[in-house]
Amino acid sequence: MKTLALLAMLQSGGRVETITRTFGVDWPHLGAQIISFSILCAVLYRWAYRPILKILEERRQQIALGQANAEKIKAELDKTEVMRQEVLQKANAQGIKLVEEAHAAAARVQERETQKAIAEAQQIIAKAQEAAVQDHARMLGDLKREVGRLVVQTTAAVAGKVLTPEDQRRLAEATARQLPS
Amino acid sequence: MATTQKTKQRARQLFRLCTVNGSLDEGRVRLVAERAGSSKRRGARTLLTEFARLVRLDRREHTAEVETAVPLPSDLQATVQGRLKDAYGPGIEIRFAQKQELIGGMRIKVGSDVYDGSVQSQLAELEKSF
Repeated sequence: MKTLALLAMLQSGGRVETITRTFGVDWPHLGAQIISFSILCAVLYRWAYRPILKILEERRQQIALGQANAEKIKAELDKTEVMRQEVLQKANAQGIKLVEEAHAAAARVQERETQKAIAEAQQIIAKAQEAAVQDHARMLGDLKREVGRLVVQTTAAVAGKVLTPEDQRRLAEATARQLPS
Repeated sequence: MATTQKTKQRARQLFRLCTVNGSLDEGRVRLVAERAGSSKRRGARTLLTEFARLVRLDRREHTAEVETAVPLPSDLQATVQGRLKDAYGPGIEIRFAQKQELIGGMRIKVGSDVYDGSVQSQLAELEKSF
């Protein structure tokens, strides 16, 4: 410090001295203050400024990382949104397709059931017709048999009284002629 | 079983021996029946049963049953007898019977042969046709 004052004195001559005296500079006091301030600055730099800078750097990095993460998340979200939209579209298309298929299947089932019902109805009608024909034939047969029975019964009752001895003989001769000769 | 078959075979042989000119000789049949009936030999009873069956069949084959609704006139009876003897041989036995249910006509049965010209059978045919 003395060297500096001395140097100042040499360079500026008496002007410096005049200024120092005007402002009331006490060189030893000023030197002590400069030294103590430098020490304070060094201590502050070492124990306060650097940790704070370090913390700030860490915070900055964290913030940068957070921002990067946020951007990444945003990108992921955008991607997810796109995928969601795609999935939704796909699901929508699939749903429409399924509904169409269900409609087609329902139509097919309805058509098949209708055909089946028609076939069954036709079968029932055919059976009923067949049964009616059979009933008619059976009734006709019964009627014929009954008429035949009545005819035979009546003929049998009448024939015995109607046949004369000549008829009886003629009939007997006809049977005799059947014998092998 | 083999014994029964042999016994039946012997019965048939005996039956053939009892046949003379196509008709059964009654004397021989009686002789065979008496001998078989009195025999104590094993199978004699089976032999007699089989022999009797063959005789019955033969009698049925040589018996004619003539059925009519009204009594048959004698001339027609003679005609029928003559025809039956011509057809089945002189050994045939002829029986005449009256059956009013025939209504009219005549039915002749000789063994399994049937000549049916009765009104009853014709009415039955008519009924069947309905």
